Amino acid sequence: MKKAITLNSKNFQKEVLESEIPVLVDFWGSWCPPCKMVEQTIEELAGDLDGKVKVGKLNVDQYPVLRNQYSIIGLPTFILFKDGQMMKNEVGARSKKQLLKMLNEALGNII
Amino acid sequence: MHNAKCTCWNCPAINLAGKVDFRACGQAGAQFDKKADDSQETHIMAECKRRPDLGLFDPMSITFEECPEWQKTPYGYLLKNMRVMILGVDGYLGWTLALWLGRLGCQVSGVDNYNRRNWVKERGAHTVIPISRMSERLHAAKEVLGVNINFREIDIYEERDKLKEFIDEIKPEAIVHYGECPSAPFSMIDVEHAIDVQRNNVLGTLGLLFTMRDIVPESSLLKLGTMGEYGTPLTGRPLFEGMFPADAVLHWDNREWSLGGELTPRDPVSFYHVSKVQDTFNCYEASKYWWLRSYDIMQGVIFGVHTEEVSADPRLRTRLDIDEWFGTIINRFVAQAVLDIPLTLYGAGQQIRGFIALRDAMECMTRLLASPPEPGQYAVVNQISGVKSLRQLAYIVAKVGRKHFNLPVQIQRIENPRVEADIHPFEALYEKLPKQYGFEPKVDIEEEVRRMFELLMKPEIRARIEEKKHVIIPKTWWSGVKREAQRIELINLEKEIKEDEERAKIFMGKK
Repeated sequence: MKKAITLNSKNFQKEVLESEIPVLVDFWGSWCPPCKMVEQTIEELAGDLDGKVKVGKLNVDQYPVLRNQYSIIGLPTFILFKDGQMMKNEVGARSKKQLLKMLNEALGNII
Repeated sequence: MHNAKCTCWNCPAINLAGKVDFRACGQAGAQFDKKADDSQETHIMAECKRRPDLGLFDPMSITFEECPEWQKTPYGYLLKNMRVMILGVDGYLGWTLALWLGRLGCQVSGVDNYNRRNWVKERGAHTVIPISRMSERLHAAKEVLGVNINFREIDIYEERDKLKEFIDEIKPEAIVHYGECPSAPFSMIDVEHAIDVQRNNVLGTLGLLFTMRDIVPESSLLKLGTMGEYGTPLTGRPLFEGMFPADAVLHWDNREWSLGGELTPRDPVSFYHVSKVQDTFNCYEASKYWWLRSYDIMQGVIFGVHTEEVSADPRLRTRLDIDEWFGTIINRFVAQAVLDIPLTLYGAGQQIRGFIALRDAMECMTRLLASPPEPGQYAVVNQISGVKSLRQLAYIVAKVGRKHFNLPVQIQRIENPRVEADIHPFEALYEKLPKQYGFEPKVDIEEEVRRMFELLMKPEIRARIEEKKHVIIPKTWWSGVKREAQRIELINLEKEIKEDEERAKIFMGKK
């Protein structure tokens, strides 16, 4: 089963901005209970969307510069990137169904 | 090993002081933002208190399995000579855990003010397994097991300064907080007892949280909660592990929201349980404000007398209470069976509870110690190994007593002095301990009950039960009435009740 990619300041450019397929990034923090509850959903999505959308996760406290670059205020924040650009940005816990709806609306019924 | 891939981010030896900014979700941190950008650091740097020679490094770069300070044990990697402080070390759980961790190589320190001894004495009861003075217990621990426990007599509420000094001296890498009054009926005796329980539990814990913030913010707190905080919702809604999962969605007004990460409703059933709920909120908030790392351990009904350490010598035994205030149900049933007193079910006797044996609870605590929460993480686990109705538990005790000890064990229903549902559905989540922490229950309930009979039927212990048999039947009513609960009927449980099995469920994860 494909797993979500752990993003960091070294691999963000390559894995997200230069990715050939769209990337859903979960910006999270260890002190944020909703973020911890979304962890499993993110892992499941990484498997379900394998080959269509890449799924990554970034701990914003470990990488403050990236956090500032994307103006992350609320956690979790889900940002969908395509061709290096931000397409969609949602803040707060989401169910798997809600995340899939967000992706389908942005990318045109991929699932 | 369940914690092999944890990194220094989880480790209590990390020093993050000044490297992070405390803020709430939705709160912009302007100052911090500037600091981070100015420093040109793309990732957080930290220092190790145990290995200062490493200098500043990326705390995600070393895993427990790579770090020489973390060593393999049967319960996961454990920090070498881990400094663990147990609050309530003289109690049923505290003493057992102190010996257990000491044997595993932890440097154990302990705090107690003998409240439990005093409360039990005040009620005219006593521990039926005799325990000696703390000085003798400490001596025996050293002599028999080679375990040194650094003990200090401190009241964590009344003597916060002394507790602070002791924590500052030891710098514990984990604090296990058992220093609370664990009795619902004790809190319902009268206003003085309700206030005493809430003050000791709520304010004692609140003071501890401030002390941890000031002295050991990276240490983990393992705080004992109770499954009783959740109540027993009649809708049958599962009892999640403290918080809703992300796929739990609130539908209202043709709109929907994920409830993921929000605390689930609590429905405490006594002023004692209310104190535990208040603790939950205090720990939750302190974790958020100050990045403390805490486990709230929702323990089911505990029972049993055995671990390898407490059974190693009579002087090392842990206490066992059987009175209406401090005797947990299985322990009380066995004592009743030994004296040929019919086992007492309150009301319908169909209340369903999660339960766990003493030995298994110790293993769970060790696994949690080995896998500290992340900075700021308030995590909750349901610490149970099974769920059964109280009449099913009575049936098990009766069966073991009849089969192995030739006792004519009877079961009775008596009036229920509590205000609680006594016929209800119950579905507890029990996912984290087995899946995240690699725990599998080792204790067979019938086997442990058999061990309890063996111990409690020894003449000197049987005599101690006999001496206090008048404090077993409840006289503390939630209504405030003081009178002995009367028998409703003797019941005949010839076989385990199937309908209870259908109502008592455990959810171990999505299919």
